[in-house]
Amino acid sequence: MRYLLVCCLLILLIGLMGCTAQPATAVISLSNLEPLPVDIPTEVVPLRVAIAAVISPQGNVDSYGPLLNYLSAKLERPVKLVQRRTYAEINDLIKAGDVDMAFVCTSAYVAGAREFGMQLLAAPQVDGETVYYSVLIVPTDSPAKSIEDLRGGIFAFTDPMSNTGRNYPMHLIQKLGETPDMFFARTFYTYSHDDAIRAVANHVADGAAVDSLVYQFVLARDPELGQRTRIIHQSRPFGIPPVVVGPHVRPQLAAQLQATLIHMADDPDGQAALAAAGLDRFVPITDMVYDSVRELEQAVASTP
Amino acid sequence: MITPDRTAPPLIFQYFWRFAGAVSVRTKILGIVLVLVVLLGVGITVQVRIVLQNALISRLQEQSVSIARDVAARATDLILINDLYALHQLLVETQANNPDVRYAFVVDSNGEIIAHTFGRGFPMALLMANTIAPDDHHQTVELATDEGPVWDTAVPIFNGQAGIARVGVSVDSVRATVAALTGQMLLTTVMVSAVGIAAATLLTWIVTRPILNLKQVAQAVGQGDFSQRITPWAGDEIGELAQAFNTMTAELDEAEQERQERDKLRTRLLEQVITAQEEERKRIARELHDETGQSLTSLMVRMQTMNQKCPVPELKLQIEDARRLIAQTLDNVHNLALELRPSVLDDLGLEAALQRYVQDSRRRYSLEIDLIAIGLEDRLPAPVETALYRIVQEGLTNVARHAQAHTASVLLERRNGRIRLIIEDDGKGFDPLQAASGGRLGLYGMRERAELLNGTVTIESVPGQGTSLFVEVPV
Repeated sequence: MRYLLVCCLLILLIGLMGCTAQPATAVISLSNLEPLPVDIPTEVVPLRVAIAAVISPQGNVDSYGPLLNYLSAKLERPVKLVQRRTYAEINDLIKAGDVDMAFVCTSAYVAGAREFGMQLLAAPQVDGETVYYSVLIVPTDSPAKSIEDLRGGIFAFTDPMSNTGRNYPMHLIQKLGETPDMFFARTFYTYSHDDAIRAVANHVADGAAVDSLVYQFVLARDPELGQRTRIIHQSRPFGIPPVVVGPHVRPQLAAQLQATLIHMADDPDGQAALAAAGLDRFVPITDMVYDSVRELEQAVASTP
Repeated sequence: MITPDRTAPPLIFQYFWRFAGAVSVRTKILGIVLVLVVLLGVGITVQVRIVLQNALISRLQEQSVSIARDVAARATDLILINDLYALHQLLVETQANNPDVRYAFVVDSNGEIIAHTFGRGFPMALLMANTIAPDDHHQTVELATDEGPVWDTAVPIFNGQAGIARVGVSVDSVRATVAALTGQMLLTTVMVSAVGIAAATLLTWIVTRPILNLKQVAQAVGQGDFSQRITPWAGDEIGELAQAFNTMTAELDEAEQERQERDKLRTRLLEQVITAQEEERKRIARELHDETGQSLTSLMVRMQTMNQKCPVPELKLQIEDARRLIAQTLDNVHNLALELRPSVLDDLGLEAALQRYVQDSRRRYSLEIDLIAIGLEDRLPAPVETALYRIVQEGLTNVARHAQAHTASVLLERRNGRIRLIIEDDGKGFDPLQAASGGRLGLYGMRERAELLNGTVTIESVPGQGTSLFVEVPV
């Protein structure tokens, strides 16, 4: 009888101890605040490569990661990927010499070349061509057949500086004698083409104009987006978005970078990296290719 | 090892029984209720406390994981485009929207803290307190901090390519909730205890009232009052007990009445026997005095005449012898008659009869006897006179036979409607208790006679110091 009592007490005690048991680790003081350690500059200066937000930052890392790794291996120096939300920010970085090489949009190149002497390095070739288009997409179940049918809808622009994502649809609307504010109920910027596609696929926007290369690339990765969107209009061809260097980049480096890019397709490692980014190869390119972009820009800018 | 004592219960139980036996049934029932409610209340409180705390902490862990994953997902682009201010705002808003979040911070792929919610400075000990591999889903650990336990969750951002998000949730709110609930439950226990005590008080009143009633009636019955009955309260065990008790009391009552009837009958019988005895004695005494005495007297007179006329001297001597024998026989007959029933008791009363009896006894027993009679000028009822006479007769006979006394005194006093009779001697005395248990018929007869007249007999005696007999009879 007495042992039963003692047992019951013991069980109760153990039970009570169970709720208050503490892990035996060192106590961390949350009030002991120390200044964060300052960045120690690395001995080796990395090659800073900017990629404009043609596709979303995560998409860029996925697509261009192998390419940057290839460059790093070839140049025997670390490569640092720099991304910003807008094209303009990338251009500012190039202008200030904070990045060495950049993958930019066509209109960003046109503006950079005009404003501070951005130089062409090479252009990617996709499906044997160095041109791309602006495609107008709508959700698959949308009855729209042309830009006119999007009147009163919600429209997604990609970037204020984008050729395919902003200037071309602006141009289409202007040709109708309208302004976006009047024509659409609402517009917004997604700052990347893949997000614009997703916005249309998810009915967040009734329509969007996107880079045809990005559209294909994204659809290849995510075929479901192709089932949920369809193209209702394609522009005339424009010069493909180029790889550029800033005005402060040493000519030797620029030449080295150009050679490396152009010879990538001759190297199995390079081919794999190119395939990851959805590219055939890099080819030399002339400024003339972008005149059509300049014309569109002027046409859009000159219209009140 | 302590071997328990098999012969006696353990000390603790002895104490328990001593305590439990000392308190009333009401206290016991209240104790049962109180112990039960308190044990139940405390037991449930402890159990609920454990269950709730575990459930809340487990939910808090899940919450910490979901917050950390949300932060990691939303931080990815901000880190990739280097929007550190937006990243900082994300952490600050996360903390503002989740009060349990104690801190949040983001470590980039180089292990540098690029945003945190600590303001100026950072507790560097926290940085290495939780680590995670890039392909893990999440890692939650409990950290002991100076502000109490914190569940720290690490989630890789963009598969670790953009760094690690860390979120720490404090268990303060869980503890507060558990403490509040515990308080509430203990309060409820106290309140239920109060209600339980009230209910138990009512219940014990209901239960113990018939018991107390039973006790009172039992006491009354014990004191001879058989008219008391218990009002049955309910059909439960106590009700059955009450009914059984009532039946028993009724039977006792009946038995008592029968006994009283028998007593009365016996008393009447005794009275009749005594009366008959007295009447018979009176008749025999009269017969002896009147018939036998007269015959003997006339026989004696004739013998006298015969003696005077007898010429033969030898014959005359024989006649004279016979006449003396007859005179002696006449004396004996007189004494016998007197002994049986002195006519003087009927004719002159108790005092005269006693005077004569005492005088006679002095002579017969050669004993010094005083007789004092006070307030006996008027005649007493005949049964009282007879009874007192017989008691004195028996008392003095006892003194003469057993006491070996030199003197004895008889005091008879009438006062306040009672007669007191005291017979004392200076004899060897005896033990009254032994005499009572020994069934001395003489004493028993005295007591019977006194009790027939509603009187009492008391004997005081110490061996070697004489004996006193007190009789009191109402008139």
